[in-house]
Amino acid sequence: MAILSEFYLLLSAAVFSIGLYGILTRSNALVFLMSVELMLNAANINLVAFSFHYGNVTGQVFSLFTMALAAAEVAIGIGIVLVLYRNFEDIDVTKAATMRW
Amino acid sequence: MVVEIGGFAVADWVTLAPTLVLVAASLLVFLIDTVEPRPGSSSNAVLAAVTTVGSLLAFLVAGYLLVVGVGQERVTGPVSMFNGQLVVDGMSLFFVVIVGSVTALVALASYDYLAGEAYQAEYYALVLLAATGMSLMASANSLATAFVCLELSSLPSYALVAFYKDNRGSVEASLKYFLVGALSSSVLVYGISLVYAASGRLQFGAVAEQLGARPEFAGVLGVGVVMVLLGFAFKTASVPFHFWAPEAYEGAPAPVSAFLSSASKAAGFVLAFRLFLTAFPEVGGLAGGDPAVDWVVAVQVLAVVTMFVGNFAAATQEKVKRMLAYSSVGHAGYVLIGLAAISAPDSGFVLGASMMHLLVYGFMNTGAFLFVALAEQWGIGRTFQDFNGLSTQAPLACAAMTVFLFSLAGLPIGGGFISKLYLLAATAKAGTWLLGAALIVNSALSLYYYSRVVKAMWFEEPDGTVEIESYPTSLYAAVVIAAVATVVLLPAFGLLSPSAFNAASGLF
Amino acid sequence: MSNPWIAIGALALVAVVIPVSMLTMSRLLRPSVPEQGKRAVYESGEVPTGDTRIRFNIQYYMVALLFVVFDIETVLIFPWTVIYRDAVANVGLARVLLPMLAFIGVLVVALAWAWRNGAVRWVRSPRTTAQRVDRKS
Repeated sequence: MAILSEFYLLLSAAVFSIGLYGILTRSNALVFLMSVELMLNAANINLVAFSFHYGNVTGQVFSLFTMALAAAEVAIGIGIVLVLYRNFEDIDVTKAATMRW
Repeated sequence: MVVEIGGFAVADWVTLAPTLVLVAASLLVFLIDTVEPRPGSSSNAVLAAVTTVGSLLAFLVAGYLLVVGVGQERVTGPVSMFNGQLVVDGMSLFFVVIVGSVTALVALASYDYLAGEAYQAEYYALVLLAATGMSLMASANSLATAFVCLELSSLPSYALVAFYKDNRGSVEASLKYFLVGALSSSVLVYGISLVYAASGRLQFGAVAEQLGARPEFAGVLGVGVVMVLLGFAFKTASVPFHFWAPEAYEGAPAPVSAFLSSASKAAGFVLAFRLFLTAFPEVGGLAGGDPAVDWVVAVQVLAVVTMFVGNFAAATQEKVKRMLAYSSVGHAGYVLIGLAAISAPDSGFVLGASMMHLLVYGFMNTGAFLFVALAEQWGIGRTFQDFNGLSTQAPLACAAMTVFLFSLAGLPIGGGFISKLYLLAATAKAGTWLLGAALIVNSALSLYYYSRVVKAMWFEEPDGTVEIESYPTSLYAAVVIAAVATVVLLPAFGLLSPSAFNAASGLF
Repeated sequence: MSNPWIAIGALALVAVVIPVSMLTMSRLLRPSVPEQGKRAVYESGEVPTGDTRIRFNIQYYMVALLFVVFDIETVLIFPWTVIYRDAVANVGLARVLLPMLAFIGVLVVALAWAWRNGAVRWVRSPRTTAQRVDRKS
């Protein structure tokens, strides 16, 4: 018995919301990176599930690209967190506020 | 698979030559730095020359292809390759012209700006890679390639903003840019996954075919379209993902600010145009009938809010660079009119007006930021008062800056005047009076804060503490070229606008 | 027709009940003897040195970054290998092989650059050198 595609949508929406919640409530830059990763993987769930639903591999291939880009993004992100730590002695994103928002 | 360019039959991927030139230039920069890897020892002149020549070549090749009519109805029609993942048409070539010209100006200016800095090769390589991503964004014809190109242009930009890694402002700017960018790119990719869920396709044309006028999952699709729109709002620095822009532009090295605010914004817009007009025309109600997802209204709201937020925030700023950053947000609002007024009978004209505004904006905004780079080189401060009486010492640069600012405001001194006039005419054609009124009110307001800089430069007395010692040649050259281009675009506007209108109507 | 999810639910229930009941049972039966050695960090029988939370040398970051690059490269090559034979039969060797060679060529240029710029060179920090000297004497 196949699982209905709606359930995958619910699952991915839940994962996406958890990631969004993490971004909005935490100020640690590394937790932020993890939350972004959750949100990207929520999209991957959708892509793979509906790739199966429609019977084409487009979505699966795109999810590979998403993973690759997520890795690249995290690599850049950790680099920025490193220079942030060197300049502000903290990885709290709210501490870096010398300019006005 | 074979297209004809100027009488020669060549393979279809040759039409991507401008992008390939940028790729080759970036690899060349890497190779030069591989041979001479010590930081700072690779010659700045060689690296800057490779970057400038590479982007200039991309600009010229794209211009040539545009002139001989590649990808346009009258010669070959849109050249679609890799199963429709990329497409070269008038629109993509037009935007490669914009990206190439901005990159060339920025690279030229960077030669003086970077003199004596470490990590020059990295800087030029990142600029070229980001430019590659932007020029490829103009050709992206599938949600997959669109996302990959978007990231290719974003990721080097994050690193470029943090170029001064021991400067707290630069690092902070980069952090905020990255945080908002990472958030918005995950929102975008989630939106893409929802569109895929509703249509089962990623290629733009196929998405439109599958969705039709009555899509099955209208709710899912609606959320997806809105999320994709938000993702593009980041790239174009529009509301609601605009608040990275003032921080990133202020903290970044000034040539990088110029690059991001002009080229990156143009690339974001071309992708948004192509996506919304080829993938979602029917669900947006453009083909007649009730829209399933009324994204046109969403864009109209975003356009008006963006104009007001950008211009009102700019009017309250004390620092010139930050004022320019907010005005860049305001200009994103003007360009959004191209999508917001798309329901007009003559939609090629509406979109063409937006494209022309981006072209002119590419020169005048880049020039204005490069003038700020010049001011940073001279070591004068960042506020309006610090510019007092600058014209007594640097009249040429100040004259150029005056041209940029008045053209940005829409006075008939540069091409910005006509492009704004065309945008206004577009809103009138579409009957969206609110947009037109917002355009006029905001242009009037922008005249106030732009003229504050002009007043400071020409009419205020200098306080005599600032001595300008050096006149960096390449930075000066870049500013003057941008000024000349801005002025020339006023009479030459009519020469270029038909190609923009043709390119725009090719999308319908 | 019974729902197959009932079996999965029952399995999940059993999987939770067994470990929880075993833990509770042993908690009720065992004598409580608090002792220093029980609380110490377990390091395979060695006497533990230092804290659990240690800082890694920042140079691991560069190595990790290069690992990620080549790890992801494999992910992108993988779909290509799956279709390779069919594609060669259909469109010929050149159109299948050359794009991948171009892709790997770009990565090779980047790797050469990273190598020459010292991404994989292990720089000894003054502190580790000092520790070496201490141990010798």
